[in-house]
Amino acid sequence: MTRKLNGGSHNRRKIKCQTDLDIVYSSLKLIKEEKEGTTNRSNKSSFKLQQELSFLPSMAGRKGHEGEMLESVYSVLALVFILVACVELCDAATVVDVYRLIQYDLAGTPLGSRLAGVNHHAGSWPFVSSADLSRTVVMMPVRDVNITFLKEYITNRQPLGGLLLLLPQKLIGEKGGEMEGGLMRSILTELEHFLIHTNTPYPVYFAFEDEKINAVLSVVRRNDATGQPATATAGGYKLVVSTPEPKKLASPTITNIQGWLPGLKGDGDSNQLPTIAIVASYDTFGAAPAISVGSDSNGSGVVALLEIARLFSRLYSNPKTRGRYNLLFGLTSGGPYNYNGTHKWLRSFDQRLRESIDYAICLNSIGSWNNELWMHVSKPPENAYIKQVFEGFSNVAEELGVNIGIKHKKINISNSRVAWEHEQFSRSRVTAVTLSELSSAPELLESTGGLSDNRDFVTETAVFKSAKLVAESLARHIYGYHGKKIKIFSDDSGLAVNPSYIRLWLDLLSRTPRVAPFLSKTDPIILALKKELSEHTVEVNLQHEVLDGMFSFYDVTKARLNIFQVASVTFDLLLLLVLGSYLILLFLFLVIATKGVDDLISIFRRPPSRKLKTA
Amino acid sequence: MTIFHFFNCAILTFGPHAVYYSATPLSEYDTVGTSVKAAVVYLGTALVKLVCLATFLKVPENDIFDPYQELLKALIGMIDVAGLYFALTQLTHRNISQNHKFQAVGLGWAFADSVLHRLAPLWVGARGLEFTWEYILQGIEANANLVLNVSLAALVSLMWLRKNKPRTLIPIIYICAGILSTMPSMTSYLRRGLGWHLPKVVGFELFFSLVMAFVSLQLVSACQRPSV
Repeated sequence: MTRKLNGGSHNRRKIKCQTDLDIVYSSLKLIKEEKEGTTNRSNKSSFKLQQELSFLPSMAGRKGHEGEMLESVYSVLALVFILVACVELCDAATVVDVYRLIQYDLAGTPLGSRLAGVNHHAGSWPFVSSADLSRTVVMMPVRDVNITFLKEYITNRQPLGGLLLLLPQKLIGEKGGEMEGGLMRSILTELEHFLIHTNTPYPVYFAFEDEKINAVLSVVRRNDATGQPATATAGGYKLVVSTPEPKKLASPTITNIQGWLPGLKGDGDSNQLPTIAIVASYDTFGAAPAISVGSDSNGSGVVALLEIARLFSRLYSNPKTRGRYNLLFGLTSGGPYNYNGTHKWLRSFDQRLRESIDYAICLNSIGSWNNELWMHVSKPPENAYIKQVFEGFSNVAEELGVNIGIKHKKINISNSRVAWEHEQFSRSRVTAVTLSELSSAPELLESTGGLSDNRDFVTETAVFKSAKLVAESLARHIYGYHGKKIKIFSDDSGLAVNPSYIRLWLDLLSRTPRVAPFLSKTDPIILALKKELSEHTVEVNLQHEVLDGMFSFYDVTKARLNIFQVASVTFDLLLLLVLGSYLILLFLFLVIATKGVDDLISIFRRPPSRKLKTA
Repeated sequence: MTIFHFFNCAILTFGPHAVYYSATPLSEYDTVGTSVKAAVVYLGTALVKLVCLATFLKVPENDIFDPYQELLKALIGMIDVAGLYFALTQLTHRNISQNHKFQAVGLGWAFADSVLHRLAPLWVGARGLEFTWEYILQGIEANANLVLNVSLAALVSLMWLRKNKPRTLIPIIYICAGILSTMPSMTSYLRRGLGWHLPKVVGFELFFSLVMAFVSLQLVSACQRPSV
C-alpha cells in the first residue's frame, strides 16, 4: 500500500519536474539561438543571462548540450529542495477547538488572560504546589476543580505555562439530574466570576471534554501519578496553540435594532399616538467570548420579544384590530456594559418621540423561572403608571397560575452602574419596568450569559409563559380590557403563542455567541435578528454606535489547540546510542564476515597500510 | 529535538547502506560506479512499474485486499527482476568479480529504493513535533529491504550469469527468486488481508529477509564450490 502511495507521489513530482524542465529547456533554447546568430558581445550577455538562470554557472556553455541538460537538472533539483524545505508541518495527533478566556481592560486595569500563545507540555490537576510549572499547561476538568486553591495560585502569581479548563459537554449529567446540574452551575459561576475579575498572567483556554481530550488527559494523569511530571526530558504530550499576539480592538461597535408597529390614528386625530416600547438586550458577556451564548441572559428576552412582535404584527395587520398605540421593539446591544447601547439608542430619539413613550417593558432573563417573576421598577410602586402596568401583569399572571412580584430600587445618578435596562429609560425620564426572574439587581458583568448559561438550563415553557404574560397584558391595555377576563392569545386560537417558534429561536441563540465587541456590524446573527424583526414590523433599522465607557477588548477569542505526542530528548539520545552501536556492530560483523579478523585489526592498527593497499 | 529525531531515523534508514559499502570489499574495488548505475536502472524500472500500475490497476476505493489486483501487482513487481537482470548483464561494469558485482548492484538498488520511498516521508514526517514509531519502523524496514535486495540480486546473478551450477539447485534458485520478488505483495497481504499492524509486519519482513538471505548465501556458496 505505502509502496503504491509513495510511488504515486513520486510520479506527481516527476510530472512537476517535467514541466519545470520544459520551461528551463525552452529558455535555454532561446539563449542558444541568440548565441549562434550574433557577435561576441551578445554571446557574453547571453552567457550572463544563462549564469543567472542556472544554479551551476561554471558548467554552462562549456560542455554544450550535455552540460545544459545537466545544469537544468541541477536547477530543477534545487527548486525541488526549496519546495520541500517549505513544506508546512502541521500533522498533530489531535486538534481541538479551544476558547480563550476574555482579555480586556476595565478602566485601564488589565483583566482576564493576558497571553494567547501556548507551546508547553501537558500536566494534570491536581499538582504539587511546589513543583515548577512555568513550562507546563495544566489540564483541569472544571467538574473537579478546587477553586480556592486555584484562586490562591493565580492571585499569588505563581508561574504556570498555561491553563486548559475542560468544560463538560452537558452541564446536566445523565445520571446526576437536577442537583448535579445546580452544583456544576454554581462552580462555573464562581470560577467565571473569579477569572473575569482577575489579571491572569498566562494563557487560559476553555475546551469541551470529548473522547480525544479525555484520552490525552488520562495518559497525562497516569504519567503524573507515577511521579514523573512531563517536562522536556520526559516526553509526554505537548500542547501548542499558535496564534498571533492579541491586539486591542479599535473602537468596538455596538448595534441596536429597532422596529415599529404603527398604531391606527383616528380620523382627524392630530395628536401623536402614544407608544409602548418592548426592549431586550441581545448581547452577552462571559469568560469565554467564543462560547458565551447566553440562552437565558438574554436570549430568552430576545425570543420573547420576537414572539410578541409576531403576535402583534398579526393583530396590527388588520385595520380592525389595529390598536391606538404605536409599538416600538428594540433589540439593544451593550447590555453587560451598563446598557450602553440602550443609552445611545434613547439619546438618538427626538424629544417628541421620547415624550410619546407611555412606558417601556424591558425583558431580561426570563427563561428559567418556575413560578415567580419579578417586575423591577425605579419609580415608587405607588406611581400611577407603574401601578397600572403591575396590575395588568398580575391579573394575567393570576390566570396563568404564576406569581409576579414588584421590586423597587432607586437610581443613584452619581453611580455609573446601571443594573437594569429600565434604569436607562428612567434616567431619560421615561417610565419603564424590567421583567426578570432575577430577584435582585446583578452586579457588573454578572448574569450576562456566561459559561453556565446555556440551553440546558432554559425551558421553553418559561419563555412561553413570559411571552404570553407580556403579550396578554399589553393587549388588554391597548384594547382597553382592563380587569376583564378576555383571552386574546388563547392557546387554541390562531393567535396562540407558538412554542416551536420559541424553541427554534432559543436553539439558534443558544448556538450563537454574541459578545458585542466581537460582533461585526453585519454579523449573521445581527442580520438574522433584523430580518426576523422586519418580517413582523416596519421601519426596521440598525443603529451602529461606538461602545464607550471604560472597556477595551483584545481579540483572539478562539484558537485551535494542537496536541502532539512527543518523545523526550533522553529517548532521542538513547536511540542515537542504540543506532550507533548497531551500525558499529554491523560494520564489525561485515568486516569479519567478508575480510576476516586480521583485516579488521589492521584497519585500526595501521591506517596508512590500508591506504597503500587501496592505492 | 525533532531534527534530532529526523537525524536518528535517517541514520537508521540510510546508515546500513553506507556501512555495507565501507565494511565489505566493495569499497576496496571502488564499485560505487556500479551502484550508481544500478540506482539509475532502478529509477527507470520504477518509472516503468508506475506506468504499468497506473495502466492496469484500478484505484482501490477501500482498503480491502483484492486477490486479482494483488496478483496483477505481483506480476508487475516481476519487472524488478527484469531491471536487476538488466543492471547485472547489460551494463558495462568495471572488471570486478561476479560476487562483488551483484552486491554492488543490490546495494545501489536498495539505496535508490530507500531514497525514493522513504526520504520524502521522513523529511515531512519525522521533523514534526508529533512522535510516532512509524519512522523508526520504516528505518528497520529499509534494513530488511537492503538484505532482501542483495539476496535477490545474488539469486538473479545465479540464475542468468553463472553457467556451471549444480542442476539440483536450479529449481530452488528459481523458487527463492520468485518468493523474494513477491515480497511486496506478501506484506501487502499481511497488512490488509490479515490486518496486521506495522510493527508486526516489519518484524516479519526482517525475519523473512534474514532467512532468505541465509538461504541465498548457502545457494551462492553451493554454486561456487565446484568452480573453486
